Amino acid sequence: MTSVPSTATSTARVATSSSGDARDHRGSWIPTGGMIATRIMELRKRRGLMAALIVVNIGIPAIFLLIRLIMHAAAPKTYGPAGGYDVFSQLAGFVMYVFGFIVAATLGCTAGSVDLTEGMFRHLVITGRSRLALYFARIPAGLAIIVPMVAVGFTIVCAVCVFAAPTKLYYPGVNVPAGQSLAGFESWAAQHPKVAICGLPYRVNPNGNGNGSGKKTTINVPCFIDQRGNIVVPPGTSGFKNISSATQKSFAIAIAKEDYSAYSKLFLYPSNKLMIQTGLWLELEAAIGFIVGLGLASLMGQRTVPVVLMIVLEIVLTPIFSRNVINHLLNVQRGLVGLATAHLEPGGLPSAFGAGNGPAGAPQLVPESTTVAVCVVIGWVVVWTALGAWRMSKRDA
Amino acid sequence: MSTTMLEGEASANPAESPWAVETHGLTKRFGDNVAVNDVELLVPRGCAFGYLGPNGAGKTTLIRVLLGLTHADAGTMSLLGQPVPRHRDVALARVGAIVDEPRFHGHLTGRQNLMMLAAAREPAAKDRIDESLERVGMAHRANDRVSKYSMGMRQRLGVAACLLGDPQLLILDEPMNGLDPAGMHEMRDMILSLVSEGRTVMLSSHLLDEVERTCDAVAIVDNGKVIRQGPISELLAGASVEVNVECSTPERARTILAATPLGAQIEVETSGLSIHLAAGTGRDAIAEINRLLVEDGIAVYRLQEIQVSLESWFLQVTSRLGESA
Repeated sequence: MTSVPSTATSTARVATSSSGDARDHRGSWIPTGGMIATRIMELRKRRGLMAALIVVNIGIPAIFLLIRLIMHAAAPKTYGPAGGYDVFSQLAGFVMYVFGFIVAATLGCTAGSVDLTEGMFRHLVITGRSRLALYFARIPAGLAIIVPMVAVGFTIVCAVCVFAAPTKLYYPGVNVPAGQSLAGFESWAAQHPKVAICGLPYRVNPNGNGNGSGKKTTINVPCFIDQRGNIVVPPGTSGFKNISSATQKSFAIAIAKEDYSAYSKLFLYPSNKLMIQTGLWLELEAAIGFIVGLGLASLMGQRTVPVVLMIVLEIVLTPIFSRNVINHLLNVQRGLVGLATAHLEPGGLPSAFGAGNGPAGAPQLVPESTTVAVCVVIGWVVVWTALGAWRMSKRDA
Repeated sequence: MSTTMLEGEASANPAESPWAVETHGLTKRFGDNVAVNDVELLVPRGCAFGYLGPNGAGKTTLIRVLLGLTHADAGTMSLLGQPVPRHRDVALARVGAIVDEPRFHGHLTGRQNLMMLAAAREPAAKDRIDESLERVGMAHRANDRVSKYSMGMRQRLGVAACLLGDPQLLILDEPMNGLDPAGMHEMRDMILSLVSEGRTVMLSSHLLDEVERTCDAVAIVDNGKVIRQGPISELLAGASVEVNVECSTPERARTILAATPLGAQIEVETSGLSIHLAAGTGRDAIAEINRLLVEDGIAVYRLQEIQVSLESWFLQVTSRLGESA
């Protein structure tokens, strides 16, 4: 038998308690504030990644709007205003939605894999801290970066779209006052009957009842308005010669009444409600991208392949499977998180992934109830978080 | 191969356990390969303990199992009296370790990396960052990015990371790797100073000379199994003794000594004899050799006991001896 006499008892400089600090609950799965703060620091110091996040979430919309502002200021008759509903819906509903998801997923994949690939995971495990806490610290840390970034980019978009919005709706040759009530719109049409009849982009439903009297609204005046604002009647037609002034007004009012519903949906700038809903929707999309990316990268133990998979999911698979119903795979299609978030899109935005409204246009989104969409989103977040945490707790460090 | 008897079991009060590291029947397999084979290891508290073995002997794997970096397939273990993995969090709270080459986030500074590690430890660990950096001589480079560090500097930073938890036990896997001679000297001094503070340092290395200079006790591992362990002085005392004799007539001297009951292996060399005495032979045997030769009229010019080094002893007991034979 061989042994070495212990010398620990002869020294008193090292504490003999092995339990450490009384406030130290390192076996707990709940991360500490310090862990989250240092994880934020670790991610924030990745200059390339942060530059990509800023460019996509803030830079692209800001530069796009800046160019539009400059062009409109330089040639207002050639280039329309920088803001407005159309610009807002295109930026928020496409650029920020799709690319925001991808960069958030990239951040998640980075957060989920770099400790392992850069050798830091081993040091962290040796501290005795719960591996689950190490994983869960990454979620608030990543969200603390991506959420404000999306908010800043979206705020810029909202600000420009509101403050640089057109003061009136403009169509070639016709200036239509915006924000009118039904009576106001009818009144404007009555005052400009020829403009209303020849120039409004709205078309009267030939089978509709313009004034509610049961008479069909039929206007047979072939005319249009050119770029200079002149009413043009094709040669060989009588134009307005045989139509009395009262009838013209009547027709104009009928057109206004018939088309008010379409007119009223055209905003000069997005409403506060729409902006708030869209902002929350974009934040949800970014958060989902981050959490799914985090779980996938943690599961796979690397960054590149998960990033590629996330891009393929968002750019290729989701658009395809969201617009084309495959009967045998319908429920699988409904399980796509991209389709679920598309169904949670605010009503005032154009349909995600270019989906149209029916057979006449692009195919509709694969049908899904809001309840199912919410369940799918929650399911993706929970399942990927569980998979990532499980792999991290079992992985050899 | 001799077996070492186990001494004592884990104490009911972890703080009273005499062992910083204790394993029983610890086994770790990778497929058919048994990397850690039924290891019985006892590392006393408050000493520098060397864990020696050739490359691929399973040194790092044992450390990884002890630290919970990978799971064991069989056996029990405890750190500082705390059974692991059951009380892994409590045990590791007072353990610092470097495993393999220390790697950190290259885009962060040394100080920022330590901040991350301190955040995962107790709140007081944050206050030890400067002290740790100072102690390993890295304070002046603490604000440089780790990607600019040399291997030796990362090694020092790894030691600083170990010190954040005010550890009772430090487990250092090849800590001399990448260090220049001056750095090795500083590391050796630091290990000794840590031991003098009452900490236990378990040192895994294949640098036998460094271990001999630094450690009080060692365990020899080969093919995943601990084949010897104990204080270096006791282990070397169990090695055979070599005596070189320079004399006037080596052949006659060999004949005289061969007829005695010393049981020595004698080789004749150009200027004398090389005598190997069995392990445990006392120093009186050397005096007896001298007496026998002088009484027979042989002139003895020089008689020298060759000190057995840890390296030669290591080669005796590990499979490398068989390979080199």
